[in-house]
Formats: sequence, structure tokens, C-alpha cells
Amino acid sequence: MAIDWSDYRCKGFHDELFVGPGAARPAAQHLVDYLGSLNTTELAERRLAAELAIKVMGITFTVYSEGRNVDRSWPFDIIPRTIAKTEWQRTDAGLQQRVRALNHFIQDIYGKQQIVKDGIFPAELLAESANFRKQCIGMKPRGGIWAHICGSDLVRDVDGTLYVLEDNLRVPSGVSYMVENRQVTKRVFPELFQTSTILPVDDYPAQLYDMLASMSPRLGDTPTIAVMTPGIFNSAYFEHSWLAQQMGVELVEGQDLFVGDDDCVYMRTVYGPRRVDVIYRRVDDLFLDPEVFHPDSILGVRGLMRAWLKGKVALVNAPGAGVADDKVVYAFVPKMIRYYLGEDAILPNVPSYLCMFDDDRKYVLDHLDELVVKPANESGGYGMMIGPRASKKERETFRKLITANPRNYMAQPTLSLSTAPTMTDAGDIEPRHLDLRPFILSRADSVYVTTGGLTRVAMTKGSLVVNSSQGGGAKDTWIVDLEAA
Amino acid sequence: MLSRVAENLYWLGRYIVRAENTARLISVHSHLLLDLPRGMTLGWSPLIDILGANEAFVERFGGDGALSEANVVRFLITDTENRSSVAASIAAAREILRIVRDSTPRDAWEHLNATHLFLQERGERHLPRAQRQTGLDRVIDTMLMMRGILGANMSHDVGYQFMRIGMNIEQADMTTRIVDVRTVDLIQSRSSDELQPFQHIQWMSVLRSLTALQAYRRHEKIRVSGPAVLRFLLQDRGFPRSVLYGLNAVSYALPRLPAYRGSERSIDRVRALIQDANFERLLERGLHEWIDEIQIGIGAIHEALTLSYFKPGEPPPPAQGSGVQTQTMTA
Repeated sequence: MAIDWSDYRCKGFHDELFVGPGAARPAAQHLVDYLGSLNTTELAERRLAAELAIKVMGITFTVYSEGRNVDRSWPFDIIPRTIAKTEWQRTDAGLQQRVRALNHFIQDIYGKQQIVKDGIFPAELLAESANFRKQCIGMKPRGGIWAHICGSDLVRDVDGTLYVLEDNLRVPSGVSYMVENRQVTKRVFPELFQTSTILPVDDYPAQLYDMLASMSPRLGDTPTIAVMTPGIFNSAYFEHSWLAQQMGVELVEGQDLFVGDDDCVYMRTVYGPRRVDVIYRRVDDLFLDPEVFHPDSILGVRGLMRAWLKGKVALVNAPGAGVADDKVVYAFVPKMIRYYLGEDAILPNVPSYLCMFDDDRKYVLDHLDELVVKPANESGGYGMMIGPRASKKERETFRKLITANPRNYMAQPTLSLSTAPTMTDAGDIEPRHLDLRPFILSRADSVYVTTGGLTRVAMTKGSLVVNSSQGGGAKDTWIVDLEAA
Repeated sequence: MLSRVAENLYWLGRYIVRAENTARLISVHSHLLLDLPRGMTLGWSPLIDILGANEAFVERFGGDGALSEANVVRFLITDTENRSSVAASIAAAREILRIVRDSTPRDAWEHLNATHLFLQERGERHLPRAQRQTGLDRVIDTMLMMRGILGANMSHDVGYQFMRIGMNIEQADMTTRIVDVRTVDLIQSRSSDELQPFQHIQWMSVLRSLTALQAYRRHEKIRVSGPAVLRFLLQDRGFPRSVLYGLNAVSYALPRLPAYRGSERSIDRVRALIQDANFERLLERGLHEWIDEIQIGIGAIHEALTLSYFKPGEPPPPAQGSGVQTQTMTA
């Protein structure tokens, strides 16, 4: 028995692959026909092959459970998510525009704060920002780039509009899975790659390397680049190690580095100390340097901020870049685009209510059962409340939280996230909600956007939570070139 | 090559060899007991002695009365609280492979992890005599496979040299330990080549513990005799588990590392001791003390490597062009 796509029920949401039961979108047509030609047994075999490939390739993520860290195999759905190249080009342009404005904003905030003086961005927001680092005031990293690597989350609402949900400017993760998902799909469905034009994604490590090299304080020489990890107990250690391996650079921990009397950063090698030019750090700001931040941090390097402020080493992303990675600051991005670039935002924001403003707060408190409420500075889907699904008690808790600290909360309408066909544990095909995280690399003179990104899917029926730490999975993301076919 | 990574790879090599040797030691000892005449028993304490785990054992199980086969076997195979158990060595190697996953082949992790899980889930079931051999064989096979995978699929760069150095030092160390403890009971019969049958069996078990019996026979073409066995296990240049072979292998690897003279000197000292040894005389008197000296020498090699490569302290930035630390050599 084969899949009967006319049984696929995707009513009430925008589906990424289907317009309606049995009617595929052009970019998905080839994929859907192909899947329809496989019988149930073949499909189950392909899924088994994918699970095996993930195990053999050692694609894992770490979860903290029952008091210890466990490596789990990466949860993966074999049915890819497709996007037409024409739509992607517009998205790509929108993301470039957005990140350019964000970098302008961060540089401005740590510089003259013109946007505050011009009354576009409220001063009190800055005063209470958890990720504003006063140590960075006056700094100008090479090319004015602070957020070298940005992971923006995109979601599609019921009418098909693609919104930016948030921008992750601190240490966004997931890109290794984007590349590995494709490797797995190629193993499982090699036939599809021969007959359709699916744009490749494996250029990312090379693009990342070039971007990092361009940030070296000693241009001209081949720079020494290192990926800095908090260590094996971090949930993203797989990715840290993967990135170092793909780029052929060192994977270091804080203990491997020290800052010399000349304020340069050195790593301890068997050849003696070696100067490091660029550090792609996957350690949060506050753990970077015990001299400046948490004095008891053992993850960081004493004097690292000093070395960075003197321009002896490039830190990627720059410390303090997280000031723009704040769900309240997010609401101002369309205004930033207008202010710094003189352009209209290509990609819309999700409409947002900022609880710091009296009118907005009143609206939020009156509509707690309809809205999604988010704290300004949490990531990974923690600390938020989805109004329509929350209990009365949870809503009351949030009412108190918001009233006590309005600056820290914002709310958005509950979006009907788009769906795509996904294989259930029982082997049936059902719609599941998903989002998309593309990664954007910024250099002084150019911006690169990944081809597609990481599609995260909520494996549980009806769930909107796509984070892998909370039961989410992933899909390969295909940007399909219909004209090339 | 980061110092931390070099040290991890060195220990990876040591743990792989340690797990394999320990498993083989238990296996051979189990067989030896079957061959000994009724009424004569060696007991299980020699194994604990070889691994230098007496204190840990007493702490865990109490005094001499606790030296039962079941206790010792559990302590040496599955007990992860015992740092010298097979399971602990494998767990430590596995943790290192996780840390250095960017510089080691993925399939090495897969195989080691499978055996780690095997010991965790089914190790207990493989402790009784009837099942023991299957479990130990699995460990030995996995460790040999690890050596194969790492040797065949990993770039033979500086990191690989550290791993090989670790393997060879561990083998030299294990061989001297096994020789030391196994010969204690045999010294009485010293120069005589006409050994009592059970002594003959014991000398063979020394060789078997190091899979050396076949190679020894090809090499010596004579009955197993005490001095010849010692010559073979300590001085042979061709047998990969002999102490001299291990030291030579380390010294061949050293020139591929920076600033290696200090480590080389520490090796030369031990090599001189071994080359000058007269085993006929040592079997009459002083073998144990002599092996102690060798052990101290091997410890000194480890110290020299640590000072040169793993923990060179936090030195000041280098002068132009020179990354080599010389001050660490003086210690």
C-alpha cells in the first residue's frame, strides 16, 4: 500500500507541501509524486535507513536528564520541507537587510547612541537591557560587525506570510544539523537528487571560515582560528566539535588559552604557545572573562576582554552583541531598518505588544488567553506562556510576572504555524507544525545567507514547540529551483 | 596540537592497551587455575598485585578473606569504582573519544561505545566462569579493533604519535608488571632448565598473558625456560609486547615531536638498564628490585612527556619565531 495524499488532512493551516488534500505545491510536486510511488514497507525501510545513518554518523545532541548528560540521536523526519527558489531569494534579501540594520544598531548603541537621541529607540529600554555590556562602550570591531553569525527564526502563518519570530545573536546553534540533515537525506533518497534541482547546503563551513578569517587582526598572514566551547557537558558540544572539524581549526576550551603580557591571546600547544587571531566563541558573554564578568567562571580566559578591546583578537560574535537579541528590542527592528538603511522591511515582524507601554500592557493583560507571552531574554522556548493552552493558574502567574517587571515581557498573537507532512511513530503521515532557522554570516563588505536553513518540527500532534530540548525534531530543507529542471 | 588534546590522545592509547591487557590477564589466570594440580592454588591476589590495586580492593571489599574469585573478577572487570578495572578503562577511553571527536574517526567511537554499553548492560552476566571468556574476548577484540581503526583511518600526525606513545608506554608498563608478579612464585626454581611440570605451566602462562607463547617458540625453539622467557619479554626487538620494543617505538616517534631531547634521555636510561641485564643472575637474586627500577624509569618517561608537552605551565609569550619551551626541560 502506498501513501494516498488525498487522505492527507492539512485543513486550517498553511501546509508547506500542499495547497489542499492531494494538491501539491509546485516546488513539492516531484517529491510528493516520488513518495507516493513508494509502498509502506519501502517507506518504513527508508526511515530505518535514516535512523541507522544518524547513529553511524554519530549525529547527537546532549540532553540533561536524571542528573546526567546523555547523548541522544538526532530526531529526524525523512520527509523534506520544500521552498521554491523564487520565494527564497526574497527571504534571503530580507534577512540580509535585517542583519545589516542590526549590526548598525549595535554599533550605534555602543557608540553615539544616535537612534536614542533621535527618539526612535527608547532610552529606558537600554537602561534595563540584560544583555547590554557597558564594557563594550566605545568599541568598534572590524567593519562595525558585532553579530557575525545570526540565526533568525522564521514562521509562516495561516495566510502564507513568512514572519521573523526572533533573531538569535548570541550563540545560535543548529547549523551542523542543517548540513547533516542533508547528508542523511542524500543517503536515504539518492534518486531524488538526480532528478530535481535541489540547491546544496554544504558550503556553510567554508563560508564561515572565510568570514572568520576576514576578521583577523593580522590580515595578510594565514590567521589562527579557534572554536571555543564550554566543554563536553554543553548541549551543543557536538556542533562545536563539528564546526572545528569541518573548518580544520582548533577546538579549544578556556583552559587551553591564556592572555600574555602583550595582551595577545595564546593557546597552549605541544609546540609551546601559539597566538590565536580569531575566536569563534560558543561561550556566553558572562563566562568569557573572569576578570570582567563572573569572577568564578572557569569556562573563560582571564584577560580575554582586554585583548579584544585592544584589537589583539577578534571575538565572534562580539561581546555585547546580545543587546539586540532581546524579544523587546526585536519589536523595533522594522524601525531600525528604516532608520539606518532608509528601506522598508522586506520580511515582516510578528505584531508585538510591549508590556512596558501602558496601552500595550493593558491589551496584553486583557487578552492573556489569546496571546503568546515571552520573557525578553530567554532562549530555547523556556519561560514562555502560550495563552490559549495555558491553565487559568498559569495565566494568573504571568499576570503577576508582567505587572512586576513589564520591561521583561512582550506578547504576540498566537500564530497558526504552518505544517508539513511528517511520519508518525506508527508510520502514518500527518501534518506537524514547523519553523525555519536560516543562518546569516556578516563580513565587513558582504552578507551570506544559508540556502534554506534548519527546519525544526514539533513531532507531537498539535504542538507548537519545536526545540530539540523539548521534543522537537528536524527536517531537511530543500530550496528547489523549478526553472533549472 | 593543543596540549590538552595531546594529553587526551596519549591517555586514549594507554587506556586501550590497559583494557586489553587486563582482560587478557584475567582470562589467562582463569585458565591457569584449571591447569594447576589439585591442592595447589595461586589464588586471585596476584591479579590485584599486578594492577597495583591492593589498597583500592581492601577499601572496597575488606581484608584477605574477601579475595574470592567472584569479588576479584567483579572488581577487575565491571567495577567502575575501581580505576584499573576493564570497564573503567573503557569508560575513560570513551570519554576521551567524546572530547576529541573532531580529531578521531567516528567509527572508533561507535565500536568502543558498543562495548562500553555491553559491559554496562551485560557485564555482570559475563562474570561467572562459564560466560567469562566470551565477555573478555569481546573486550580484547574491541581493543584490537580500536588499534586497527585508529591506525588505518586516522592521519598519522602529531596527535597520532602521542596516542602511539601512550600505547607503547602502557604496554611496557604492563609487561613489566606481569613479569614481576608472575615470577615471584617461580624464583625458587631459578637456574634449572628442567622445571617441574607446573612451573613450566606457569612460565607458559606468563607468555600467554602477553600472547607471547607462539612468538616465543618460533624465536627460541627450545623448552620454556625462565631466563629465556625474561629475555624475550624484556629484550626482544621484534615482539611488540616486549619492553624494549615499546621503548624503541616511543623513541622512533619522538623525533616527530618538538623539543624531545628530555624525553629521549629518560628513555635511554631505561633502555640501558634493560640491555645490560643478566637474567640468569637476576633470577637468583634481585629481579624484583631490578623491575622496580624499570618501573621508576617508565614513570620518569611519563613525567618528562608531561613536562614537555602536556602541562608546560603558563609560560610567557615566545620570542619571535620560537615556540619551543626550553625551561620546562630543567625539571
